Amino acid sequence: MKFNLALRNLLIVLFGALVLSACSTTKKGDLSGDVYTGTETIEYLAKGVPDRVFFATNKSSLTTAARDTLRKQATWLRKNKDISVTVEGHADERGTREYNLALGERRANAAKDYLMTYGISGKRISVISYGKEKPVNPASNPLAWSQNRRSVSVKAN
Amino acid sequence: MTKNLFFSFLFHALVIFLTALSLPFMLREPIDLPPIVSVEFIEIKDKTYIPFAPKAREIIDKAKEEEKRIVSEQAPPSAKAKEKPDRIPMPEDKKQKKEMVKKKQNPEEIKPEIRQSSEFEKKELFDTNEIAALIDKAKEEQANTQKKTDKLTQSSVKNSFAQALSLSEEDALRAQIFGCWSVPLGLPYDKNLLVRIKLKLKPDGTILKSEILDHARMNTPGQSFYKILAESALRAVRICQPLKVPPTGYDRWKDLQLNFDPTEMLKG
Amino acid sequence: MKKIIILFLYIILSFSKAQALIKVDITRGNLDPLPVAISPLHVDGKSEKFSLFEVNKLGSEISKIIEQNIKSTGLFNPLNKDAFVQKPDIAHLKPRFEDWRLIKAQALVTGKLLIKDDKLKVEFRLWDLTAAKEMLALSFTTTPNNWRRVAHIISDKIYERLTGEGGYFDTRIIYVSETGPKDQRVKKLALMDQDGYNIKYLTLGNELVLTPRFNPTNQLVTYMSYFKNLPRVYLLDIETGIQEIVGNFPGMTFAPRFSPDGKKIIMSFAKDGNSDIYSMDIETRIVEQITKHPSIDTSPSYSPDGKYVAFNSDRSGLQQIYVMRSDGTGVKRITHGKGIYGTPVWSPRGDLIAFTKVRKGRFYIGVMRSDGSGERLLTENFYQEAPSWSPNGRVLIFYRETKSDKTGKGFSAKLWSIDITGYNERRVKTETDASDPSWSSLLSK
Repeated sequence: MKFNLALRNLLIVLFGALVLSACSTTKKGDLSGDVYTGTETIEYLAKGVPDRVFFATNKSSLTTAARDTLRKQATWLRKNKDISVTVEGHADERGTREYNLALGERRANAAKDYLMTYGISGKRISVISYGKEKPVNPASNPLAWSQNRRSVSVKAN
Repeated sequence: MTKNLFFSFLFHALVIFLTALSLPFMLREPIDLPPIVSVEFIEIKDKTYIPFAPKAREIIDKAKEEEKRIVSEQAPPSAKAKEKPDRIPMPEDKKQKKEMVKKKQNPEEIKPEIRQSSEFEKKELFDTNEIAALIDKAKEEQANTQKKTDKLTQSSVKNSFAQALSLSEEDALRAQIFGCWSVPLGLPYDKNLLVRIKLKLKPDGTILKSEILDHARMNTPGQSFYKILAESALRAVRICQPLKVPPTGYDRWKDLQLNFDPTEMLKG
Repeated sequence: MKKIIILFLYIILSFSKAQALIKVDITRGNLDPLPVAISPLHVDGKSEKFSLFEVNKLGSEISKIIEQNIKSTGLFNPLNKDAFVQKPDIAHLKPRFEDWRLIKAQALVTGKLLIKDDKLKVEFRLWDLTAAKEMLALSFTTTPNNWRRVAHIISDKIYERLTGEGGYFDTRIIYVSETGPKDQRVKKLALMDQDGYNIKYLTLGNELVLTPRFNPTNQLVTYMSYFKNLPRVYLLDIETGIQEIVGNFPGMTFAPRFSPDGKKIIMSFAKDGNSDIYSMDIETRIVEQITKHPSIDTSPSYSPDGKYVAFNSDRSGLQQIYVMRSDGTGVKRITHGKGIYGTPVWSPRGDLIAFTKVRKGRFYIGVMRSDGSGERLLTENFYQEAPSWSPNGRVLIFYRETKSDKTGKGFSAKLWSIDITGYNERRVKTETDASDPSWSSLLSK
């Protein structure tokens, strides 16, 4: 009987530890604040040039990591002068549809503006917002939402 | 082993026995059970009016029957009430007197009776229609000065209650009508929604006659909601029959005015 | 003994003469559904054949629709037909009121129909059973194929007569039909009767379509489409099928809505990360910029008199609801509660604004007065938004999405309705998943 109790306690502690560690891995590994910092879902325009940046909830300001990615895109675009891109802005599913359309547009433009400050002509960059209509991760959890709050540069030609 | 078997047998037998016992009840119950009625927790003060013994009751009822016939031929009582308000004895006094009369049959009481009945005859000379028309006019005017009237009626109501129906009786009646009144929901809550219905009741609480007092408003253009509201109030009264009136004191409540006003409810 | 009785009589009489009239105030009633009996309509034996089904069933089919309609309001309780005491074939007679009262019905609907010369003629009567009188008697003639609409019109008349406000059954709902997995949704414009019948798909699903809204005459629909990957506001004539882009904007236009007179479309135009509100006169094509603010201004909705526009804006940092004059002046924030507020929609009665509220990760549909006071949250859920008013301003229809698991399963989008008291929340059945509903006005006025 005593042994059973001890075993049970041990199990509870173990389980608790597991839960905690699971939490911490997601947080540390993939989210900073609520901005996604992982590498899942990312595609590459060229080697070392990620196609997307991520945003905080209801925000369109670029994080340090986002600026870093966009600089890489700008460098790549400068090298490939015949390529133009469409920046797609997206929002997570946790806002009203119409506002999300506007928010996606604002995010895409934030990325576009940054690319332009690095010398890319605005003519080479078009912008489209999909709001919450095209999630990359269809799950309903904070991780998926963080992956969906994004702007993605897509080759347009 | 045998012991276990024995217990098992015993318990099974017990269970079967209990089932057998309860089964007939279960079979019977659905038939015997009256439909579920929601009970309103309103106490009626049993001290206020002590019911008469069956015999006395019979007599009173008979008397009331007689009286009813006469009453129905006369002008609306509210007219009298309005014309001679000072003549109205305080209901409390009346009650006491009446009870005294009923118990002792005190001959002294004949006096007022004669006086009153003579007045009664005078009334009959009036053209009842004319009076009714006059009342209607008065009422229309009243309806026009809605807000003031509202407050007035309400305060006067409270006074008359204190003496006419005991609070618990009033509550019982009110609660009953609350339950019967399906309030139409499309009402504009910024308009005057007071519907006054005058009832003439039988001793058992059923309705002899009902009348909407402000019926001029029923067909006023732009006030179509009023008709619907008034109809709903009338339906409520009819559905509620017989009304939960006190077992005694028919004279006090045989004419009853109900003021329906859902404003408070619709706002809240 | 006789003397005593006479004595009694006199005494009682004397008191009754001098009685103060007792008055009782009734300030409350019940909101229980009103019990009504909808008798199946009697089908005239001389009726011609009916193309859709056996003509004899038409009477009971129509009464079934009426029953469902008025039941869906939550205000009426149609009684079980098994308990009915009279057969429908006495429809031309006065009902036996006492008998109907026995089953506790307060109102009764009777009627009859006849198909002759390819015309459907329906007569119906509404009876007040407690007062034993007729409340309403009407007849309609139409083509037999319109039989469902006849049932809806009758429902409206009954509703109007018993509640005192306009009905909303002879109406349609335009919405976005959704199929396919969450990350590859196929969306089509769809149109249906208010009760979910007669569904028509207006687009094929080749491009993304969003937020359709009726014009006041229900013939035009404005919506947003990603046709050729250009997100723009469109105008569609649902009778001719002709459609066109609204205005000539060099960027995304979205969140369109008609003005109450139907002459203008108000919408958002997004440019360089900034969304402002514009209106365009459909006839003259004149475009007017209404808001000019470096923030997201969207979801505009006119007041029924056309003098004001409610919209949501994040100019304060988070999405809140604002009201301004329809020329853009006098902008005033009306929501100050905790959480974010969006999708304001002005009630057709003008007194209320419906909205979506998000707080602590939960979504609410609510109503408030047009100055922002008297906020009432009607329903809470994981995700729901985009309320649209029934033409009488009593019911809101909106869509609700469910949570999905890691693979996107469990996701659904459905239409729901709730009335402004917060009662009577119910699913509005659609063939497919559905979102962005918009309620038409009454088809027959």
